[in-house]
Amino acid sequence: MTKPDKRAGWLIPCAVVGVLALGSPEASRGADDPRDWLAKMNQALATLNYDGTFFHLTEGRVETMRIVHRVRGGQVAERLQSLDGSGREFVRNNDNLTCYLPDQHTVLVEPRQGHGPFLGSLPRFGADADEFYRIESLPATRVLGRAARVIAVTPKDQFRFGYRLWLDEKTAMPLKTQLCDSHGQVIEQILFARLEMPESIPDSDLAPAVHTEGMRWVRQGPALDMAHDNALAALSAFRASQLPPGFRLTVTGAQTLGEASVPASHLVYSDGLATVSVFVEAGTDSKPQAPMQGLAKVGSGYAFSTVIQGHQVTAVGEVPAQTVEFIAHSVTSLPR
Amino acid sequence: MSEQIREQISAFLDGELPSSETELLLKRLARDAQLRESFGRYALIGEACRGSPHEHLTRGLSARINRAIDGEATPAGGSVHRGRARRWWHPVAGAAVAAGVAAVAVVALQQRAVSPSVRPGVAMVAQNIAAAHNKEPVMYTTPAPAALGEAPAALPAARLTNYVFAHSKYSSVLGQSNVLSGLLTAADAEPTPAAAETRSAP
Repeated sequence: MTKPDKRAGWLIPCAVVGVLALGSPEASRGADDPRDWLAKMNQALATLNYDGTFFHLTEGRVETMRIVHRVRGGQVAERLQSLDGSGREFVRNNDNLTCYLPDQHTVLVEPRQGHGPFLGSLPRFGADADEFYRIESLPATRVLGRAARVIAVTPKDQFRFGYRLWLDEKTAMPLKTQLCDSHGQVIEQILFARLEMPESIPDSDLAPAVHTEGMRWVRQGPALDMAHDNALAALSAFRASQLPPGFRLTVTGAQTLGEASVPASHLVYSDGLATVSVFVEAGTDSKPQAPMQGLAKVGSGYAFSTVIQGHQVTAVGEVPAQTVEFIAHSVTSLPR
Repeated sequence: MSEQIREQISAFLDGELPSSETELLLKRLARDAQLRESFGRYALIGEACRGSPHEHLTRGLSARINRAIDGEATPAGGSVHRGRARRWWHPVAGAAVAAGVAAVAVVALQQRAVSPSVRPGVAMVAQNIAAAHNKEPVMYTTPAPAALGEAPAALPAARLTNYVFAHSKYSSVLGQSNVLSGLLTAADAEPTPAAAETRSAP
C-alpha cells in the first residue's frame, strides 16, 4: 500500500483498494471492474480535498459527524468531529494523531509513523482473497442526488465483516457505505448528507473545537525505553497459537498504553482487509490496574480481554466478536 | 414527528432530498435527539423495506420486517400522500407500526452483538501459525452458534479507548472508519461499571 493510502480514510475502505485491487488475480479487467472502482475511490480519498457531513448509523442510533480532509503541498491533514454526540474529535496531521476526549478530560496523542512499516507491511490480498471475500458490482443507483456505482465486498465466513459502497460516478468518492455481517445484514451505515470537494480548505476548518484547558495530555506510542528490555523479552514469547482462516501475524512491536509505566507487546493480525490487534501486558500483580475479563463493542468492532498465564491479553479489531474472542483465547507463550 | 419531516427523512434516505432541505434536516437533527432516534429507526426500516441491492444478502431481515408489516392492519383511512411520491415508509405508516418494525430490526442486530463463544480447539480447527508458518489452513469448520446468555461485559472505557486508539494506526484504513467512529460515539465511550475491572481472572 502506498503512503498516501494511510492518510486517506477515516471513513472509507481505502484498504479495500490497496489490498484488493492490487491483488486482483485477473490479468486484465474491464472498465467496470469493481476492483478498478475501488482503486479509483482510493485515489480520490487520498488526493482530493473534501469536507462532508455524514450520518453514522448503528443499531438504530444515529450520530452526525463531520470529516475534513486536505492535501496541500504533500501534507495531509484530517479532522473527524462528532457534531451532536460526545464532542470528541480526531485531528491527524503528518506527525500526530490526536484524540480529544472532553468527556474524559483527556487528550491522547499518538505519533504518526509516516515511514513505518505497518500498513506497508500488510500482505497483499492476492488470489487467495477470493477464498474469504467476494467482490462484485451491484446495480447502479442514486445517492445524494448523484449517480452512484455500488460495489459489494462480501465475506465468505463469519470471522470478518463485509462492505457495500456507493461510489460517486464522477469522482469515485464514497457517498454511502455499509458494514455488513456474513449474512449481508447491515451492522453500520455511513451516509453523507453533504459532501463538497473545495479547491482549498482553510486551517481553521482543521483546528479542533475542543477547549483543552485543564485536560490531561497523554502521549502513547511505540515503546523506545530500553529499560524495559527484560519485560518486553518476556512478553515477546506470547503469540496467538491459532487463528481464524486467512489471518496472519503482520506486525510485532511494543506499545505504551495511556499512562502505563510498562509497555505492552502489540501484535497485529490481518487477513489483508480486516485487522486485529492483540495487546499482552505484564503480570497484573505489579500493575495499578485490576485485571479485566470480558467483551466490549467499539463502534462496529469488538474488544475482548482476558488473563492468560498471568498476563492481560486484549484483542481489538474491526471484526465480529467471535474473532477477537477466538484470537485472544488462543494467545499463549510459545517456546522459542 | 410531522408528516413533512417524515417526508424529508424518507426523501433523504432515498437520495432525493434537495440540498437546501438537507441542510434544514441536518439542523433539525443536530438539535433534536428524539428526531435522531427516529431517523435511525427509519433508516433501518427503509433499508429493509427497500430491499438490498444485493437481495439475497438481506433476505432474513427483510423477511422478518415484511412479516411484521403484513401482520399489521392498514391504518384507518389509508395514507394521504402530498408532495413527493409515495415512499418506502408509507407502507408502514403509523408510528406504532414503525416502532414495532424497528424493534424487530434493532433486536435482530442486538442479538448478533451477543458474542458466540468460539474458542480455539473447541468449535473449530483453525490455523496454527507456529506450525504452519503463515500457510493457509487445509480445512476448518465454521463456528458454532452463539452460546446464549453470554452477554458482552463492557471493559473500562478509559482502557478500552487506549487499546482502540493504539489499534487504529495499525488497522486497515477500512477498519479505522469503524473503530474511530466508534470512539467518537458517546454511548460506546460511557464509563462502565467496575465489574469488569474487578472480576478475577479465570
